[in-house]
Amino acid sequence: MKRWNIYTPEGVQDILFESCRQKRLLESRIREAFRLNGYKEIETPTIEYYDTFGGERGLIKQESMYKFCDAKGRLLVLRPDLTVPVARVAATKLKDEPIPIKCFYIGNAFSFDELGGGRQNEFTQAGCELLGINSAEADAEVVAMAIEAVKAAGIDEFQIDIGQVGFFKGLMEESGLSEDEIEEVRALIDQKNLVGVEQVMDRHKVREPLKRLILDLPKLFGARDILQKINPEDIGKEATRAIENIKEVLEILDDRNLAQNVSLDLGMVQSLNYYTGIVFRGYTYGVGFPILSGGRYDKLLAKFGRECEATGFSLGINMVMMALERQKKLSKQEPEGVFITYEKNARKTASDYCRQLIRNNCIAELDLMQMGMEESKKHAKSRGFRKLVCIKNDGSREEIML
Amino acid sequence: MRYITFALSKGRLTDLSIKLLEGAGIDCTELKGNTRKLILSDEKNKIRFFLAKPADVPVYVEYGAADIGIVGKDTLLEEGRDLYEVLDLGFAKCRMCVAGPKELEGKMDSVSITRVATKYPEVARSYFRHKRRESVEIIKLSGSVELAPLVGLSEVIVDLVETGRTLKENGLVVLDTIYEISARMVVNRVSMKMENRRIAKIIEDIRKQL
Repeated sequence: MKRWNIYTPEGVQDILFESCRQKRLLESRIREAFRLNGYKEIETPTIEYYDTFGGERGLIKQESMYKFCDAKGRLLVLRPDLTVPVARVAATKLKDEPIPIKCFYIGNAFSFDELGGGRQNEFTQAGCELLGINSAEADAEVVAMAIEAVKAAGIDEFQIDIGQVGFFKGLMEESGLSEDEIEEVRALIDQKNLVGVEQVMDRHKVREPLKRLILDLPKLFGARDILQKINPEDIGKEATRAIENIKEVLEILDDRNLAQNVSLDLGMVQSLNYYTGIVFRGYTYGVGFPILSGGRYDKLLAKFGRECEATGFSLGINMVMMALERQKKLSKQEPEGVFITYEKNARKTASDYCRQLIRNNCIAELDLMQMGMEESKKHAKSRGFRKLVCIKNDGSREEIML
Repeated sequence: MRYITFALSKGRLTDLSIKLLEGAGIDCTELKGNTRKLILSDEKNKIRFFLAKPADVPVYVEYGAADIGIVGKDTLLEEGRDLYEVLDLGFAKCRMCVAGPKELEGKMDSVSITRVATKYPEVARSYFRHKRRESVEIIKLSGSVELAPLVGLSEVIVDLVETGRTLKENGLVVLDTIYEISARMVVNRVSMKMENRRIAKIIEDIRKQL
């Protein structure tokens, strides 16, 4: 029998000293950014009922969830996402909170799908949700928050792409394609597969110029002047509303001086059963995957019994860490703290001195192994201390900067 | 300026890929030379290349280790990676087919197939699951797949068919075409956004030659 006891399961990792320090630092900066913008932190359980995420027309594929049973045989999952639990809480326990509700979370999620490219099966997400309003102001606020979080993380070269699922839905409604075909077109556009889209469109008689526009969808991304290529007369009501929505959001972001990091992607059409309006993703150098994604999901709370508009985003902390590392932006740990070794009879003096340093917020540590001056020097240096202090029997101190 | 990195498929796609790149004004001298270096470059345009096994190209591109890849649609289908597939390059054309003994011709819907031999287990699985709604046993082989129905390993095979000669000589026929295959250009999702201007120009310069 193979023994697994010295390994961690596939897709999960130990995070050791320096990475752990970096990660906590990153989380605390992001937490502070959310807090200063009026969002309040919430914590939901790591395990939830399967029904919260899955079931018929479930939000998340059943094969990507870690499942197990509770003592009564009910199916549980390790949360694959943190937005859905927030929606559950908002629909049930926050019913009487004044609107808008602004909350944020930083926590781990689990998914079998995530492996690869810095993605792990257990990963940390930081995100915020703005519940109770559907307006361009709210959409822009959440995009702005995403930009602020990325900046707080220390990434300055990045791009946020904004799309609107209503645009695609509107075009599809006008086209008269069946539900299965729409899904096929969606997947193809999401891959920017121009050839594939053309093949599907050739099978159907879709009126020009609508057809042209659908064929162009994979290319409709970049600076905001792509909006000028679209003639409102070609696209129907829903798609026109979507474009108006995007324009408004851009104007608000202009006023907030955030437009330089924002561009558009009308072909961004990920999972339509979740998002209902503005959608966005964030990219940076050094990682092959988006570092954040978000959007408007006005129908999600209804699954938990409350009609309530909502928008939000989440940032992949592990992804951001990798980007910072590749961009060489992780701050090096400077030597800090005092390592205190002492001669036999100076134990009390040494320990008093150590307490005093700690009370003054300085890292200090007693030499528990009595290794003597030479050994302590090597040890303290390799542990990253800034200073070695030796307390002599007569109470005097010898200090060495490391 | 950052490097834009190409992952090219080693093998029959290599020379045709190089031709397209040269046509787009990219200097491939280093790539054509007989060198043992693994990563080659066009310093003027800040472009780097490397050759990889075709099945690895989509992996390099998905992870962002390469920005752009040139690879067969068969590999893309089998690997199922999350990429932008931006161009059909039109060369290395063939078909991904279900093939089997002549007796099965026209009877695919009435007989129930239980075993399928293939080099493309994912393609075969998804075809039988989604298009035919059948649960079949997929047997993965590494070559000479045509042998499988002849010696009774499987009823049918899923494989690439170029001219159909191998099938014919062994008494097999194409029962259904799953996909039309050709070489494709793929782009990493983040690179497409972060290096949009340069990558869009490369795509356009290559498209012009097709």
